[in-house]
Amino acid sequence: MLFLALRHLLSRKRQSLLTLVGILLGTAAYIAISGMMLGFQTFIIDQLINNDAHVRISAREDVITEHSLDADFFGQDALVHWLTPPAGRRDNAYILYPRAWTDRMESSPEVSAYAEQMIAQAIVSRAKVSTAARVIGVDPTKQIQVTNIQSYMTKGSFLDIGMSGNRILVGDGLLNKLGATVPETLMLSVGKGVAQSFKVVGSFHLGVKNADDTLIYGALTDIQTLNATPSRVSDIAVRLTNVEDAGSLASSWNILSQEKVQSWDQANEGIMSVFTTQDIVRNSMTISILIVAGFGIYNILSMAVNQKRREIAILRSMGYEAKDIVTLFLAQGLLLGAVGGLVGCLVGYGVCEVMARIPVANRGMGGNHMTIVFFPGIYGRGFLLAFLSAGFASFLPARAAGKLSPIEVIRGENS
Amino acid sequence: MGIELKDIKKSFGTPPTQVIRGISLNIELGEFVSFVGRSGCGKSTLLYIMSTLDEPTSGQVMIDGKEVTTLEQSELHLFRNLQMGFVFQFHHLLPELSAIENILMPAMKAKRSGERRPYAISLMEEFGLKDRLDHLPSQLSGGEQQRVAIARALVMEPKYLFADEPTGNLDSANGNGVMSLFKRVNKERRMSVIFVTHDTEFSKMATRRIEMSDGLLVS
Ligand SMILES: Nc1ncnc2c1ncn2[C@@H]1O[C@H](COP(=O)(O)OP(=O)(O)OP(=O)(O)O)[C@@H](O)[C@H]1O
Ligand SMILES: [Mg+2]
Repeated sequence: MLFLALRHLLSRKRQSLLTLVGILLGTAAYIAISGMMLGFQTFIIDQLINNDAHVRISAREDVITEHSLDADFFGQDALVHWLTPPAGRRDNAYILYPRAWTDRMESSPEVSAYAEQMIAQAIVSRAKVSTAARVIGVDPTKQIQVTNIQSYMTKGSFLDIGMSGNRILVGDGLLNKLGATVPETLMLSVGKGVAQSFKVVGSFHLGVKNADDTLIYGALTDIQTLNATPSRVSDIAVRLTNVEDAGSLASSWNILSQEKVQSWDQANEGIMSVFTTQDIVRNSMTISILIVAGFGIYNILSMAVNQKRREIAILRSMGYEAKDIVTLFLAQGLLLGAVGGLVGCLVGYGVCEVMARIPVANRGMGGNHMTIVFFPGIYGRGFLLAFLSAGFASFLPARAAGKLSPIEVIRGENS
Repeated sequence: MGIELKDIKKSFGTPPTQVIRGISLNIELGEFVSFVGRSGCGKSTLLYIMSTLDEPTSGQVMIDGKEVTTLEQSELHLFRNLQMGFVFQFHHLLPELSAIENILMPAMKAKRSGERRPYAISLMEEFGLKDRLDHLPSQLSGGEQQRVAIARALVMEPKYLFADEPTGNLDSANGNGVMSLFKRVNKERRMSVIFVTHDTEFSKMATRRIEMSDGLLVS
């Protein structure tokens, strides 16, 4: 029946072509939009994962509430009513037993690397200009195993920080704000301590404005000294062998400890929910295009079934069965779906190729072009969407054709 | 063997009106039978019933000793495909297919189109359509189309050929051509030919002429 189905389609060239174009556009749009949106998501996720950590363990910022001191002062069972309830925050946040964590890291097979960090808010100043900065003290050899910072360096190497010696790396946005250049000395001060001078030995550009405008990396011991918290650690950044484990691992660690453990996606919930919205928009748009194309198929097939009543009847009288007739029309819809889906994939691929060449300013390591995803799954899904919607659309007319009673038709024609 | 009808009745609609009111009839293999009668007397209805396209309201249709209502759908399809040919007043050719492809459609269903092709071509030659093999139906005259339809009915060399006013749409020359074709296949291939006609001349060409009136046999 396939060859007859093909002949039917070819005998209605214009209709078939129009329907084909509908399916093709739906598929191509799905692929192009998916490629672009997923590319954008991949880019952002890349930034989120690689610039920070798969999992971050940080000291809990303990806020004191009305009853959090009751037990310390009055014992477990006391019912306390404060005239002036206590409020405030506990002293500098740090991880109480970093050793316990590092032991756990060493024994966890999922962990590929980790780095202790001391993160402090500081004021950085050069001559009369000063601004706020987020200073991260790290062991550079450990840090470059946790993040890809090394490949975002615009000047110098991440290892130039060394283990001590007041050398720092500064985000290029921050350098600009200060009007500073690379071999230069800046003053850093943390709230209570005295200002210390640090030598800028390199700069980086992560492509995330917020980070590039505020981040400073220094050696762990230097920053601990600056912050007047020697040998304390505020965070541990962890890299996993498999990013997918981040969420579940973070959740299970979170229960085990009093520190706050967050995976990269938990930390960026807002962004992740934007992605979900994007996915919904992308899918619903594609589905609506395909519904329109599906209605096209439904229409032309319904019309064809009506026009071909006599031929259906004569085929039946020749011994063709109802299921042959169903196949005849279903095959037409599926052919349109398959060809439209296939060509749509190709067109979508072409559009993606073109989009991938669109230059986008300064994106750090991702190159200076739009990130487009060419994941085969997108193409598979695009094709399947086209094929299945065509199948659904042709199912009803095909079934109607199969149910057509040949004798009714013949009687109507030859009376 | 042959076709055996036992007290066939057929009614249509609500309230039911009887169109065939009790017909019993035997048609032997190799007979050449014409059905005649006034318009509306039930000729077509009877033809469709004896050719398994329609079902009687009551009564039995036996073909080759088998009762049609006891046959499985698939057996029935096979039977129509291999043992029966139909020719209607309108040719009902598939407009997308060439003459030869149309003729081979029954063979295609039986997956024997390769094997039947030489025979199909010889039929076309016999019917004077030798140089029309790849013409589309729209490129053929009415008479040529009807001959293609007859060739299609014959391509599987069936035992039975049913025709409902095969000449109804043709001029007398073409009509004569069709009738002599029928006569030939009946004689040369011993095919049972059963046809309905309004034309008294044509009906006389049959070896057996059955007249109907108001849902009953006259003779
Ligand atoms: N589906 C139907 N519903 C109701 N009545 C029908 C139906 N089909 C046929 N009839 C009636 O049955 C009667 C016989 O019809 P049939 O087609 O067998 O006549 P016919 O002898 O072939 O006539 P003609 O020579 O005009 O073709 C007619 O009166 C017709 O109106
Ligand atoms: Mg009739």
